[in-house]
Amino acid sequence: MTSEKKQKGGWGLTIFLSLFSVLYVLPIVIVFTNSFKKKAFINRYPFTLPDSKSFVGFENYIEGIRKTDFFNAFGTSLFITVGSVALILVCTSMCAWYITRRSNRFTRSVYMLCVFSMVVPFQMVMFTLSKIADMLRLDNPLGIIFVYLGFGAGLAVFMFCGFVKSIPLEIEEAAMIDGCNPLQIFFKVVFPVMKPTYISVGILETMWIWNDYLLPYLVLDLKKYKTIPIAIQYLKGGYGSIDWGAMMAMLVLAIIPIIVFYMACQKHIIKGVVAGAVKG
Amino acid sequence: MKRMNKVLALALAAVMTASALAGCGGAASSSTPAASSGSTSTGAKGQVYYLNFKPEQADQWTALAKKYTEQTGVPVNVVTAASGTYEQTLKSEIAKTEAPTLFQVNGPVGLAAWKDYCYDLSGTDVYKELKSDDFALKDGNAVYGIAYVIETYGIIYNKTLLEKAGYTAADITNFASLKKVADDIQARKAELGIKGAFASAGMDSSSDWRFKTHLANLPIYYEYQKDGIGDTEAIKGTYLDNYKNIWDLYITDSTCAPSLLSSKTGDDALSEFVLGEAVFYQNGTWAYGDIQKADTLKDDEIGMLPIYIGAEGEENQGLCTGSENYWCVNKNAKPEDIQATLDFMKWCVTSEEGKTALSSEMGFVCPFKGFTGEFLPSNPLIAAADQYIADGKTSVLWCFTTMPSEEWKNGVGNALLEYAQGTGDWSAVTKAFVDGWATEKKA
Amino acid sequence: MERSLRKYSPIFILPTMLAFFVGFILPFIMGIYLSFCEFTTVTDGKFVGLKNYIKVFQDATFLHSLWFTVLFTIVSVIAINVLAFAVAMLMTKGIRGTNVFRTVFFMPNLIGGIVLGYIWQLIFNGILQYFSRTLTYSSKYGFWGLVILICWQQIGYMMIIYIAGLQSIPGDLYEAAEIDGCTKRQTLFKITIPMSMPSITICTFLTLTNGFKLFDQNLALTAGQPSNKTEMLALNIFSTFYSRVGWEGVGQAKAVIFFIIVVAIALIQLRLTRSKEVQQ
Repeated sequence: MTSEKKQKGGWGLTIFLSLFSVLYVLPIVIVFTNSFKKKAFINRYPFTLPDSKSFVGFENYIEGIRKTDFFNAFGTSLFITVGSVALILVCTSMCAWYITRRSNRFTRSVYMLCVFSMVVPFQMVMFTLSKIADMLRLDNPLGIIFVYLGFGAGLAVFMFCGFVKSIPLEIEEAAMIDGCNPLQIFFKVVFPVMKPTYISVGILETMWIWNDYLLPYLVLDLKKYKTIPIAIQYLKGGYGSIDWGAMMAMLVLAIIPIIVFYMACQKHIIKGVVAGAVKG
Repeated sequence: MKRMNKVLALALAAVMTASALAGCGGAASSSTPAASSGSTSTGAKGQVYYLNFKPEQADQWTALAKKYTEQTGVPVNVVTAASGTYEQTLKSEIAKTEAPTLFQVNGPVGLAAWKDYCYDLSGTDVYKELKSDDFALKDGNAVYGIAYVIETYGIIYNKTLLEKAGYTAADITNFASLKKVADDIQARKAELGIKGAFASAGMDSSSDWRFKTHLANLPIYYEYQKDGIGDTEAIKGTYLDNYKNIWDLYITDSTCAPSLLSSKTGDDALSEFVLGEAVFYQNGTWAYGDIQKADTLKDDEIGMLPIYIGAEGEENQGLCTGSENYWCVNKNAKPEDIQATLDFMKWCVTSEEGKTALSSEMGFVCPFKGFTGEFLPSNPLIAAADQYIADGKTSVLWCFTTMPSEEWKNGVGNALLEYAQGTGDWSAVTKAFVDGWATEKKA
Repeated sequence: MERSLRKYSPIFILPTMLAFFVGFILPFIMGIYLSFCEFTTVTDGKFVGLKNYIKVFQDATFLHSLWFTVLFTIVSVIAINVLAFAVAMLMTKGIRGTNVFRTVFFMPNLIGGIVLGYIWQLIFNGILQYFSRTLTYSSKYGFWGLVILICWQQIGYMMIIYIAGLQSIPGDLYEAAEIDGCTKRQTLFKITIPMSMPSITICTFLTLTNGFKLFDQNLALTAGQPSNKTEMLALNIFSTFYSRVGWEGVGQAKAVIFFIIVVAIALIQLRLTRSKEVQQ
């Protein structure tokens, strides 16, 4: 890997990759331009830019926001995602540290169960889980956070365990000799060292929960709460037919927060993915 | 700093134990659902949860519910299932603790599946308001469903365009004449400035019910008539060739190539019709609201023709009239919720606000005693239906309420689409229709 | 340490364990039990033995969806990994603009399946209408549509993992290869690929399970049309469960079979690639 080798053929490939990148973002751009077009034009001429005949300004957005109650859905999605991720991070990291440090038959089987739960497809538990969640009155945004903790625990515990194993025991032992109880040890010694793992678990769980459709669809009380994916899916047929205008506008509104989030913490996201993958 | 952390840790632990305990508490109370009923926030007043079947009227129902809540303080939730997902939504919702208190079945077949959940409405005020027992879904003496809307469908047409082409509705009296007119219009579509005789027969889930259910009613109706029956375990498919003829007509004299049908939506067909790109549009009285909203066709410009399929004696055939919208009350709901629901239903069909909303805002013909005079909708399509009855034509019954299952409809719909596209042939439709009927009736 | 930990165990593991029990273990066990029952809700199951399983294998739509899913998974695993690996190789060559490209390629991965499905439905139908076709005209279109969609979504993610893998290959290996006069092809097959085996394992594992479990994208893009021919396993299970009265048990049995397949694949695949890694 010498540096002069690095620069070879640079421009040609740059141009090639630039074209490829343009192609890559094109679908999103097309959705964006279509969101300003009259709905009759969207399906028939998706690749034309809005012109004086087809331009409708923000009409689709207004209609879409009304139909989907978008801001409510956004609030619900945000609350569920932030709440669940926070709870998952705190609870599972504590759990992971505990089961790694206290190795016995019970903790080992917990660990195995967590690993096992990662491969189980959601369809396996979808009916029973939604029924149990209903019986325990977990059909609201607060309750679903608890469901996410349960169903998301596997991956998180697994990743935290992987990291805890690499933390040298000596520091913790020293802290204990200083008179710290396990809670203090965890929050003062272990917690700070695990920061990178928190970020990567947090990113992975955020990506999952924010975009999840089926679990909230089955668990939430739909007459009161909808998340963004549910609201968008409901646009298809919820009013007798697909309103492509409103659909385009809602797709744009659904993508914007993701792009903002991505731009704001791109570095962490990419690092998180790598770390998550290497451990997973 | 050290203290801070300690406090924080303790607080966290407290929160988590609390949440854990809350989970336990929930578990304990749920095992005795009857006892815990008093603990819900609404108390003894009861509430209504209406799972609405008609997406076309979603907004109107929500508005009406809001009005009711303002007047009485009783919460009414209206949830509308997306097109084609009613069974699915009902199934997942009814399993919940807060299940719908008011839901719909589409007729005897729907009732068979949901009977265990249906409250006997025989002693209720809503039932007493019903004009006749024909509109009730009965099993023995028990009344399980009440039709709240009577609807009519046929081929809606654009009078102006039809006249421009040199015809009137009187020229169309049977399948042969319908085909002649449609073929002629299709041949001259450029001259007439239209895209096709029939609006696209879209097979997207927002539109496919027009063909797999409503159009398929005709061959079933004629077979029942011929055999003098009202339901059957094994359909013979006597009139399937006629079904093919009318379907062929729809997809040939159409605004679009048959290969595009799979993603054509209900909206597409509607917009073709209201923009004057098509002359004929198979749909029903419920479509009037959408036609009116588009504001391109005046009321006297639209009419409705019977769907002729070439059966003998069809010159005397009228439009297809019936109901597939029966209200059922969930008998497993809490008693106060059942009462609240019955009160709400009564209010809908007896109060000024309710009657106005149902008749003029939703455009329904309702089979209740109070719906007379100003509470008859000013819907030209309904007027057309009434005219046929006045002319002594025989209305076609809604036999599709006896179709074995949603699965059967889907099977027929899929086969119809494949046939239209050219990726399958008609024998698949016959198979789905006849064999599918037998299998699904057995299931 | 052990002893003081035990005293604190409720705080550390109780929340997670409780949620894990409610959110995973309990629904899972009930799910297995219910697959042998006829039921409409979790509490009214009547034991019917293997009847549901027999029905599953008589159900043509299930067998079709199984076959469709297998085919889809094979094609998408190969396509995603080959392309992602190729892009990752380019990305490690030090081409100008690498950071921008990486940002662009990774982005679709953050967008949820439902949103992605509708974006691509617009694009595909827009293109196909020039040929008087639609996406749901034939299952071929739906198949390749899904493959393109899934590539678009996941290439970025896998690329990030591959980049990390490639960057960890020591540079002196390449230098040695150059001195020995290896061709580019030889370098690729003798050094780069074997040395990337850990990331290849991870990526194949991820794409394989993602492909098998695909649901949201399937639902939003084609919803199984035409004639349920583009229905994948997860969607087939969902619609058996919720759209057919009296088929709940069959749906649950399908879910169990689905679960067994996913676990089996995960185990076989892990063993295969791990053993290769050891050999290298």
